[in-house]
Amino acid sequence: MVPALGRILILLALLAASAGALVGFATGARPSGAGWAWARRLAYAFAALMVLANLVMEYALLTHDFSVGYVAHVGSRSVPTWVSLVSLWSSLEGSILFWGLVMGAYIAVATWQNRHRYPEYMPYAVGMWLACGAFFSFLLAGPAQPFATVPGPPIDGPGPNPLLQNHYLMIIHPPFLYAGYVGMTIPFGLACAALLVGRLGHDFIRPLRNFLLLPWIFLTVAIVLGGWWAYEVLGWGGYWAWDPVENASFLPWLTATAALHSALLVERKGVLKGWTATLVIATYLLTVLGTFMTRSGVFNSVHSFTQSAIGPTILVFLAAALLFAVALLTVRVDTLAAEGRLETGPSRDAVFLVQNLLFVLFTFTVLLGTVFPLVVEAARGVQMSVGRPYFDKMSVPIGVALLFVMGVGPALPWGHATKEQLRRALLPPLLTASMLAVLGFALGVRNAWTMVALFFGGFTAQITLSEILLPVRQRMRARGENVLEALRQAQRRGRRRFGAYIVHAGALLVIVAIAVSSTMGSSKEIQLREGETMALGAYALTFVNADRVAEPHRESVRARMDVSKNGRSLGTLYPRMSRYESQREPIGTPAVRTSLTEDLYVSIQNIDLASRSVGLLVLVNPMVAWIWIATAVMALGGLVALVPAWRGETVAVRVAVPSASASAEGSR
Amino acid sequence: MAATSTPGTAAARATRFNPRVLAAGAAVALPLLVVLLLNLRRDPHTVRSPLVGRPAPAFSLAPVGGGAPLSLESLRGRPAVINFWATWCVPCFEEHAALTAAARTQRDVQFVGIVYEDEEARTQAFLQKRASSYPSLMDPEGRTAIAYGVFGVPETFFLDRGGRIVEKHVGPLDSRTIAALVARARDGAR
Repeated sequence: MVPALGRILILLALLAASAGALVGFATGARPSGAGWAWARRLAYAFAALMVLANLVMEYALLTHDFSVGYVAHVGSRSVPTWVSLVSLWSSLEGSILFWGLVMGAYIAVATWQNRHRYPEYMPYAVGMWLACGAFFSFLLAGPAQPFATVPGPPIDGPGPNPLLQNHYLMIIHPPFLYAGYVGMTIPFGLACAALLVGRLGHDFIRPLRNFLLLPWIFLTVAIVLGGWWAYEVLGWGGYWAWDPVENASFLPWLTATAALHSALLVERKGVLKGWTATLVIATYLLTVLGTFMTRSGVFNSVHSFTQSAIGPTILVFLAAALLFAVALLTVRVDTLAAEGRLETGPSRDAVFLVQNLLFVLFTFTVLLGTVFPLVVEAARGVQMSVGRPYFDKMSVPIGVALLFVMGVGPALPWGHATKEQLRRALLPPLLTASMLAVLGFALGVRNAWTMVALFFGGFTAQITLSEILLPVRQRMRARGENVLEALRQAQRRGRRRFGAYIVHAGALLVIVAIAVSSTMGSSKEIQLREGETMALGAYALTFVNADRVAEPHRESVRARMDVSKNGRSLGTLYPRMSRYESQREPIGTPAVRTSLTEDLYVSIQNIDLASRSVGLLVLVNPMVAWIWIATAVMALGGLVALVPAWRGETVAVRVAVPSASASAEGSR
Repeated sequence: MAATSTPGTAAARATRFNPRVLAAGAAVALPLLVVLLLNLRRDPHTVRSPLVGRPAPAFSLAPVGGGAPLSLESLRGRPAVINFWATWCVPCFEEHAALTAAARTQRDVQFVGIVYEDEEARTQAFLQKRASSYPSLMDPEGRTAIAYGVFGVPETFFLDRGGRIVEKHVGPLDSRTIAALVARARDGAR
């Protein structure tokens, strides 16, 4: 009964999406009020059907209905309710169903929000979105089949992948990732609509930018949550491994970030329109590539799901989308004529261009490193891994250059900077830059790249802070407001700018924290018997004893480690090794003691209750907490920049042109 | 979809063909698609062992339940099958019967089990219950398993007469696979 209901909902969603796509394109080509109304209805219907299908699946998961294929595959009566609830996205078929839910929600919101606006563009956009929706519905109806009927259902199932049951971060990482990934469908549709219409003015760039910014925020958080999860769960002590699937989430982030910046030039100067559309389209294509990477079984990774017919189907879609995009850009990109000219002298314009090129270079570098092992495998039949050295070597200079550019750009004026302006903009930040570098050296930094990162970090920090505070200072001077009032007023009036600089502050902190944590840590691998103590830096760890903890879905052996620093007790850490039902390999869970300056990270390599000994990997990782904090800052900055634009057109105009803010404020 | 790109509305501008965009797009898209297509059928989880084609790492290990150690050198002169296994590994039960039967019928081949990360008492109980036609050796601290690069169990190595590894099999074996791989071990390396 339940499987049949689910399948019917999926088929109806496929029907709604296909019909809506056709109606959308037809209405775009031959505008009609009735056509547009139908396109909208079908978009809402698609969303509603996806919501219902997901509710049916959740019902099946919570009631342990093993006649549903997906539940038989990942469900288990022995897991806690929250695990059953999140099992929806713990495995391949369910994650595609969840994907459909997120896609439906995005499409419904974007359609609703713009139902009275952009009448030329919106039918095409809805057509594009629903074409993508139709593909995912097809995937669910055919190759994925989460609602397949199980004849003679089992009494109990195996439960989801234990790695995913191990930590609460796994509840939130996938939804954030999907909200980021799937959300890129919306700007993709809008960019295609702009190309099809043949116009991308500074009115239509606004929804494009906002719908790029929203998934960008989710993607930023998701990438770092993934790193955080790896850090807290996988037990090797790091947060980023250049795993193909990590790269898959990073690639669209790079192009989306580039597009957010080039969109600003479209808005301000009327240039780089085709380029911005290309970046947005590339972002979407990279999310499809990432989907293929995770779901095809071609790449070996903690993320990869098992092989199935889903991989080839996604590859066909990727090929179709790629060829469509290339064809569309080939015949339509020249219709997006520039209205202005891009300054090439020393100016903010030029730095924007450099920044964009750096991001694209970064994208190609990571893409090449990710795909290259496949090329070698296909050509020579030899397995190889490009691995960290390549990525580290390539990404460090690019990251540091971006850090520098992030400071230089905002410091320079638009148009053309005179020598005097350059001097006044670029000399003072050298003060903070030098201070931070000297401080780093005093604290023991000897790695050249880390020194450079600290230097540029200080440089950019001073500029970013002064840009955040500039309107505040102006208000304080001009109106005699106190600091808090001036800050409140200034950020209300220039929220987009304010938000953008908060993102920059977060980003520079992330880069510096990565540079420091990856070069300044120390680690030790050691075998301890009960009662023995080891030292690492200022820390002393004593292995007190080991005991067994039984829970319904897993059995763990944990080591009790008393920790002290410089002789002062810091309490007890419990790294553990867990064995899940129906899984033969035990899974370690490290214990991490986090502080603002450094983390103490204790991971069990092996543990033996009989001989009372434990093998440990202990690391001291400096500044790691700042990566998580700075990401929150970036997300917050993104929200600050997004919220006013969300409230409506007039506000968006106001924030788009800071100099006009006073008059717009008055009209409210 | 191409039809939709022809201007239907008054606002739409004329289509203009840009060969440079086409060239750049094709240069990125086509190689990418070809590479992904060629790799679609690959299973990334099988890692080819660098040991294949090389002399097998030496060992000298005591059999389960005690007794004189058995060494790799003593196996020289005839093909050998070295099977890493454990009592806690479900696929190992499945292949155990096939291996036992193969060892009974193929007398010219020496079958050896090496116990991976397991207790001797449990292993002995398992072997008594199931009966075995070939020796299983204890591998204290898993040194031999490490030397052979064992990733998980079961993993099985097929050696030729000269003690060279001809083939490595990951996962449970069935009778047909054993027969095929033993035949290659008999032929020796090509």
